[in-house]
Amino acid sequence: MAHGFSRAIAGLKACATPATLCVLAVTTTAGVAEAPDRPQRSYYVYVAAESDDEVSIVRYGPDGAEVVKTIPVGSIPAEVEGPHGLSVDPDGRYWYVSIAHGFPYGSVHKYQTETDEWVGAVTLGLFPATLDVSPTTGLLYAVNFNLHGPLERSSISVVEVETMTEVARVDTGVRPHGGRLSRDGSLFYSVNMMDSELVEFDALGFEVRRRLLLGDGVMPTWATRPTADGKVYVTGNNVAKIFEVDLSSWRVERTFATGPGPYNLDLTPDGSTLVATYKGGDAVGFWNLESGRERARTATSRTIPHGVAVTPDGEYAFVTLEGVGGDPGTVEVYKVSTGERVGAVDVGKQAGGIAFWKMEG
Amino acid sequence: MTSLRSVLVLIVGGMACLAVAQGSAQTPEPDAQGEGLTLEVSPTRLTLGIGDTAVLVATVRDADGAIVEDATVIYFSRARRRVSVTREGEIEAYRSGDVILIALVPKDPADDSRRPDARVRVEVAVTVPLPPVERVAFTRVPPKFYVGTRPRIVVEVIDAIGDTRSDVTMSLTSSASDVARVDRFGFLTLLQPGRVEITATAEDASDTLTIEVEANPVHSLELQASVETARTGDVVRFTAIAKDARGLPVRGVPVQFGVGGQTAPDIIAAGAAAQIAEDGRFVAERSGTYTVVASTGSHSAARTVSIERRDVRRDVEVVGRGKVLDRHTSDLWIWEGTDSRDYAITGTWGADGHSYIWDVTDPANIEKLQEVQVDARTVNDVKVSEDGDIAVISREGASDRKNGIVLLGVGNPREGVPVLAEFTDQLTGGVHNVFISENHVFALSGGRRYDVISIEDPRNPTRVGRFELDTPGHGIHDVWVSDGVAFSSNWTDGVVAVDVGGGGRGGTPERPVELGRYAYPSGWNHAAYPYRSQSTGTFYVFAGDESFPYGGYSPTQGGVPSRAAGWIHVIDWSDWDNPHEVARFQVPEAGSHNLWIEDDIMYVAFYNGGLRVVDISGELMGDLYKQGREIAMFVPGDPAGFIANAPFVWGAQPFKGHIFFTDWNTGLWAVKLADRTGPRRIIGEPQ
Repeated sequence: MAHGFSRAIAGLKACATPATLCVLAVTTTAGVAEAPDRPQRSYYVYVAAESDDEVSIVRYGPDGAEVVKTIPVGSIPAEVEGPHGLSVDPDGRYWYVSIAHGFPYGSVHKYQTETDEWVGAVTLGLFPATLDVSPTTGLLYAVNFNLHGPLERSSISVVEVETMTEVARVDTGVRPHGGRLSRDGSLFYSVNMMDSELVEFDALGFEVRRRLLLGDGVMPTWATRPTADGKVYVTGNNVAKIFEVDLSSWRVERTFATGPGPYNLDLTPDGSTLVATYKGGDAVGFWNLESGRERARTATSRTIPHGVAVTPDGEYAFVTLEGVGGDPGTVEVYKVSTGERVGAVDVGKQAGGIAFWKMEG
Repeated sequence: MTSLRSVLVLIVGGMACLAVAQGSAQTPEPDAQGEGLTLEVSPTRLTLGIGDTAVLVATVRDADGAIVEDATVIYFSRARRRVSVTREGEIEAYRSGDVILIALVPKDPADDSRRPDARVRVEVAVTVPLPPVERVAFTRVPPKFYVGTRPRIVVEVIDAIGDTRSDVTMSLTSSASDVARVDRFGFLTLLQPGRVEITATAEDASDTLTIEVEANPVHSLELQASVETARTGDVVRFTAIAKDARGLPVRGVPVQFGVGGQTAPDIIAAGAAAQIAEDGRFVAERSGTYTVVASTGSHSAARTVSIERRDVRRDVEVVGRGKVLDRHTSDLWIWEGTDSRDYAITGTWGADGHSYIWDVTDPANIEKLQEVQVDARTVNDVKVSEDGDIAVISREGASDRKNGIVLLGVGNPREGVPVLAEFTDQLTGGVHNVFISENHVFALSGGRRYDVISIEDPRNPTRVGRFELDTPGHGIHDVWVSDGVAFSSNWTDGVVAVDVGGGGRGGTPERPVELGRYAYPSGWNHAAYPYRSQSTGTFYVFAGDESFPYGGYSPTQGGVPSRAAGWIHVIDWSDWDNPHEVARFQVPEAGSHNLWIEDDIMYVAFYNGGLRVVDISGELMGDLYKQGREIAMFVPGDPAGFIANAPFVWGAQPFKGHIFFTDWNTGLWAVKLADRTGPRRIIGEPQ
């Protein structure tokens, strides 16, 4: 435990009864016993701290994991506006963050990378959450999660990012979340958390093409970008499963039993490994997709893991941890090949959305 | 570029192209860097209506005049918020004006920056005219037109999209200039009895008003004042009485009021010192001697009043503190417990879900009794029931994202503060503000509406009602209930009054009935406090803004202080159907937040402007700050504060002779007003 990144992090977990009052301190068992081999190159991610209204740039490189910059977002210091989803456009020139709360509609804001200067914004629906930018058209797709009040149908918004203009808003289902585009940008996959559906959205025609019911009562939270061989992986958050959906047959071909509360997913570029955060189980799972077996599961150093982003070289997975109450959020770095945690650094409270930016060196 | 173009054509498919082509823009001469390239764009000039779209088509030719098929052409707008153009040449007009669009062939075809360096470039002029005027209408017409008087008529100009326009040239003409002349402001000069038509014209629209000019029966004009001596901020009513030859009042005579005067000799460079309304209400911001002149036709009358300094200034004495220096503090509530001791509850913001319970019986020795932690980052609001038994706290940032409210038993905090219940159903978006009124909690949900939750059985709260506006994009920030009427603050929708049992229109907590609403242009409405003036009986709503237009803040520990804007709007709401704004309290370079009113004194948090205590007695009109109605101000700070020496007062509440307030960066304070000490300033007012 001699390394800065590997300090023990005490998590806080709410007691079961009474539901809201007391807290217990729990200490994770996962640490980094020995110094990992540090990478020769540096990796940069953007991370949103939802309860601190800030976005941080985290670098993992020869010096370990560190916060290199923090950018305040939102417009009213006395209101928590909730940056939630993040995306860096395909050429790395701009980054986008969804701000969940507005008056009442949320928004997506555009910033320049390198300078992190604000460029523009567009107001979308209630609680815009996950977003992705098309490498082909440059259009941005964001799901309006609408986490407020009664279960109501919500939408996918399409934004033209030069003028930050919403050019389409399409009804998709109840509590849409977790959207990712196909590699050619022609299709957008998201889930309807309270409709138990995977949705295939025509990113050019702006209409829902197909819906796949994942099972009665299943609450999906995430869909991956399709693999080269036409598979999309979807979390069943409340049933502790990951569904492998074949896009040709449009059916679930394999189901993986996971740790509690699989929440976000990301794939290595070669499609061989799936990394999953287990929000209810305080762990990260590494799945060999050829064998369909979880080859590693590592307990997180703080509670409530949320987002995950795999580096383009497939070497590392960056994972965000929300924490509870006044805990800082944390970004952890895992070696994908082993599932070993090799770095960690605290950021603002309730770290959630994460997007890979660039590699250097 | 081919695939990109084809996709974007899909986006704009179906939109009408209203471009008016006038030839092609062409590179005048190929420049050296252009290597002989020329660029033609068609059309070269367009006129678009607001909302119209068009597409530019570019042709690139080489030095031999042959078309370069694979050339990259990029477009951008010099005013994209007025007229946008995509990189593929698709144009959309948003606002009127003249805009230049640029088309260029980039030096580096792979350069996808917004304005790359060009090999050749041309400009395309786009004109977006204002919408045409659709109609004009006379909206305010005096009841009588007497020879010699100078009444004013008011005309409204409406354009094709329904906006009222003030930027259109409007002409007014008289059909009989020997009877009446009219100037461009609408003032009439009435010369002799007769019928005359006044015509208002704007662009192609016009309207005509026929008036009958009568002989002027006024023989004399008398001016009365409600008092001869008053203080700054007091409203003095001047009444002009026109009488005929028999000494009888003549009704409907237009009277103009004017005011002049001399401010007190010790005021240097006083500036504008007084105002008088069209109806004769006068108020002064500086002491002095003022003469009001009333005139109608050839008659005038004058009356002078003496205005003294309001002189309400008092000092603020710090009595005690409940320091919170390791996190932000939010709202507060002070109450008397069932054990007759006095308590305060304060929330915390952007932290770990704490509320603190304090014994404030002795404000000089504030004692923290309990810390209540819930699963949240922010407890933005805290309220206590009228009987002092139950507190409700709001939750935002719960780790399970259910948020909602938590009910606490606060009847005897020294014995403990049990959690009675939590209620999260359909409040998952976060509860920002709450209010307790007669066994009901009014809880905001996701900044969208408020739910009414019965706490008759506080261990089993049940939703019984809900109120939500139906305007596009409506939001809500706050709700306050008084005498069975809920006043919500709704940003751009302003203050909305809703009968929840006491409004006289059949509303109940289960079935709220809207009574009226009042909005103002800024859209900053954040809080509202209903209050019936003790001195006049007038029912006002004091509506507070919240805005941070200056940016540059950082709310984290050791961060950068914030600076707010906005003020308190004073709305006379004596008639539910006719709310109208009569006064303001605006502190320069600071912005309002929460407020409380008691005994005709307003206690208002002004964020970086600290605590302000304001005399709101009597009739209210004009700028209360400039009238010297501010009784006291106190700007807290602490070098050990969460943000050091950064005042950011959140809310205030008077209680048993003290003023308690919370400051975002330093916690709970108890202060009291004290007699003014020190030398009396002799230059300038207010004091």
